[in-house]
Amino acid sequence: MTSQSALIVDNVSFRYRDRQGVAIHQISFSAEKGELLLLAGASGCGKTTLVRAINGLIPRSYKGELSGKILLNGQDTAGMPLSRISQMVGTVLQDPERQILGTKVINEVAFGLENMGLPRAEIFARAEQALDYLNILALRDRETFNLSGGEKQKVALAGVLAMRPSVLLLDEPLASLDPASALETLAMVRRLADEGLTVVMVEHRVEDVLNIHPSRVMFMSEGRIRYLGAPAGLMEAVDYHEVKLPAAMIARRAAADPAPARMSFLPGVKRGEAASGDSSNAAEFALVRFENVAFGYESGREILHGINLEIRKGDIIAVLGPNGAGKTTFVKHAIGLLKPKSGRVLVNGIDTHAASVAEIASTLGYVFQSPSHMLFAPTVREELAFGPKNLKHSAPQIEQQVKSSLEIVNLVDKENDAPLSLSFGQQKRVSIAAILAMRSKILVMDEPTAGQDYKNYLGFMDAILQLPGFEAILFITHDVDMAVIYANRVILVADGAVQADGSPQQVLKDYALLRACRVVPTSLLDLNLELFPKTGEFMRAEALGHVL
Amino acid sequence: MLVAWRYRKRKSLVQWFDPRAWVIFYLCFLFSTLAFWDIRLLAPFFTIALFWLLTSGLQWSEIRRPFLFIGSFVIFFSLLTFLTGRGSQELYKVEHLIRSYAAPFTLLGWRPTLNITVERAFFAVSQFVRVFSIAVMTILIPYSLNPAYYGITFRGLGLPDKIAYAMDLTMRFIPTFGRDFQLTMDAQRARGYELEKISGGLIEQVRKLGPIIVPVTIHAIIGSEDIIDAMDLRAFGIGPRTWLEELHYQRRDFVLIGIGIVILVTSVLVGFAGLGNFWVPEALIRWAVGG
Repeated sequence: MTSQSALIVDNVSFRYRDRQGVAIHQISFSAEKGELLLLAGASGCGKTTLVRAINGLIPRSYKGELSGKILLNGQDTAGMPLSRISQMVGTVLQDPERQILGTKVINEVAFGLENMGLPRAEIFARAEQALDYLNILALRDRETFNLSGGEKQKVALAGVLAMRPSVLLLDEPLASLDPASALETLAMVRRLADEGLTVVMVEHRVEDVLNIHPSRVMFMSEGRIRYLGAPAGLMEAVDYHEVKLPAAMIARRAAADPAPARMSFLPGVKRGEAASGDSSNAAEFALVRFENVAFGYESGREILHGINLEIRKGDIIAVLGPNGAGKTTFVKHAIGLLKPKSGRVLVNGIDTHAASVAEIASTLGYVFQSPSHMLFAPTVREELAFGPKNLKHSAPQIEQQVKSSLEIVNLVDKENDAPLSLSFGQQKRVSIAAILAMRSKILVMDEPTAGQDYKNYLGFMDAILQLPGFEAILFITHDVDMAVIYANRVILVADGAVQADGSPQQVLKDYALLRACRVVPTSLLDLNLELFPKTGEFMRAEALGHVL
Repeated sequence: MLVAWRYRKRKSLVQWFDPRAWVIFYLCFLFSTLAFWDIRLLAPFFTIALFWLLTSGLQWSEIRRPFLFIGSFVIFFSLLTFLTGRGSQELYKVEHLIRSYAAPFTLLGWRPTLNITVERAFFAVSQFVRVFSIAVMTILIPYSLNPAYYGITFRGLGLPDKIAYAMDLTMRFIPTFGRDFQLTMDAQRARGYELEKISGGLIEQVRKLGPIIVPVTIHAIIGSEDIIDAMDLRAFGIGPRTWLEELHYQRRDFVLIGIGIVILVTSVLVGFAGLGNFWVPEALIRWAVGG
């Protein structure tokens, strides 16, 4: 640590005014000019609090007890106005949708400069320079709402860079991006650091960030630094269950531990009932059938075309594809929220044109990405009873269904709590239980693990797939590893059409097709394909350790 | 999409003017129209509104939905006033009966009767003309004012930076709010919730809207924290800001503002002179009495 360091955090602790316990405790580190520091750790470990302390939101917007010192380019930020700090530290928040304030791209990039009261000519020059630097000058006059996730991320970054900060804080910039957009963002971050910007990047997707060679990695747990040093050291210093490390590394370390227990997914489906791999029984077991389905909004282009497929008993389907490919539109057809423009969708043999969404809900339950989009009731019990009541189940039936759903998701002790007061993970479980209580046969999930840390998402998916209530599960994801670990079938969607549909081994081995669909192979997929002749199946990295 | 911008750049009279000039004219028009119940004075306002609409370059297909919605709304309330006579009695004391229709049955000794009077009929027409004129001018706003200019327009009208920017921000987040609303609607429909089947009294209906209102509100509150952070982190509110867009008044804008002010001042003077109150043609009354 030198006084010339771009950023010095010296013994910083903070406790939020309205919360018990410290959020971060005696944090000390520094970052030099041009350094790229990866900040990792489980949800709630204090990463965001540390970012807020550096960018000055703590204690200015978030009140509490702050101690220690933060120096930017040698200057103590205590007592410094936020406007001054914001010219030295730029922050890109997790959700660019909420960070973008301008209706047009140029207004968004110019926002900070307008607030600084700079002359108009200078604002235009700096804003256009930032857009040009990120190769998005062509977006200059576009409306921000209509941009893709990756474009929004770049525009948000341009808005920050236009203020010419010396330190850049990125709070989970990859969370809402498809793999190809995430790669582009990472390459851009590397370039910024190479050109002298100090970058602190908070990210759960550690493996992806390690590919752009951060100078150092900081791993936090319970508000404290558990590891700070070279990336190579992280792999030895932390538990491989907590951080998503390269698959070969996990496998090597797991080889020394006892082999993980083998899990049985979809226990509600008896062996022999599952149609996967046995096409002669397929039609008999088809729960949902798409027949030449096409869809487009009134005045727009066609979003889906030529969709022909079945969802069968025993299927665990991962739907992969880039943002805007039509994945969500496809799923909304299965649940009857959208009706095909041509062709038809049959749910339990009934055309969705002739069935209400409520009728279809007893076959398909849809869990949206964010639980806060659906939770509303004063207690968990009432939340769970909502669906069955709408479906006109009898009172004793509802009572029994709510009880068993609570038991399955292990939330019996929370039945009288307000759903919105629970943790994010618990809210997710309530949203799954709400579907279970409707006795839906198929669970459909949109990005079920987005924004969750590695340990939490594996635990969550393990628990869901072992629930006894479902006959098939379908999830939309950007995470190829989810398909590798959990799916027995992969549907690859791009440009509104199914590009491939088959077992993970069949679909995911075609790297050229994956790349054409902006799906990026991972180290776990590489390792599984390499060992497939030996294993005969796809496995998680810990299990591969015992095959190596 | 639930919320989509109606604005497009068009070759139209309304877009020929500076948005500030048009907003000033609109406000003058609004307050002037509200000053009158006399259909002879409301008729010119109705004509002005139609003039702006016909020169706006809008196609019927673009405005069909809002017009049908607002049109039915205005007609419904005009009809309600006409049938019940309520809400209009403070404007006239005497009614001249044209015809009376009594129901052939009684309810607990009360016989429902519809009295058609000259005053009620004319009030319904005046009410329709008054509200419809304002509605036409108001509908033009989202179609004709560039959302990117909302902030600078209100700043140019003298509002402080923070309030003017709040206008910009509202326009920016309406589509996001619309998307969140649609997501919640979809999520609840997927749980068998059918908005169209909601029944019961007003309070009961509002209570049954909870599954939509609560998540949308909570989401908006959660989102607003990020928005505030994003604004703070880019130095919002530290002092006078520069607005990227520039608006410059032309001579035609001053003419429009002048016409608006003349209309408003004249309306105020006419109002003070005791004119502009509810009016019914004498001939119609004579006909009713004679009939």
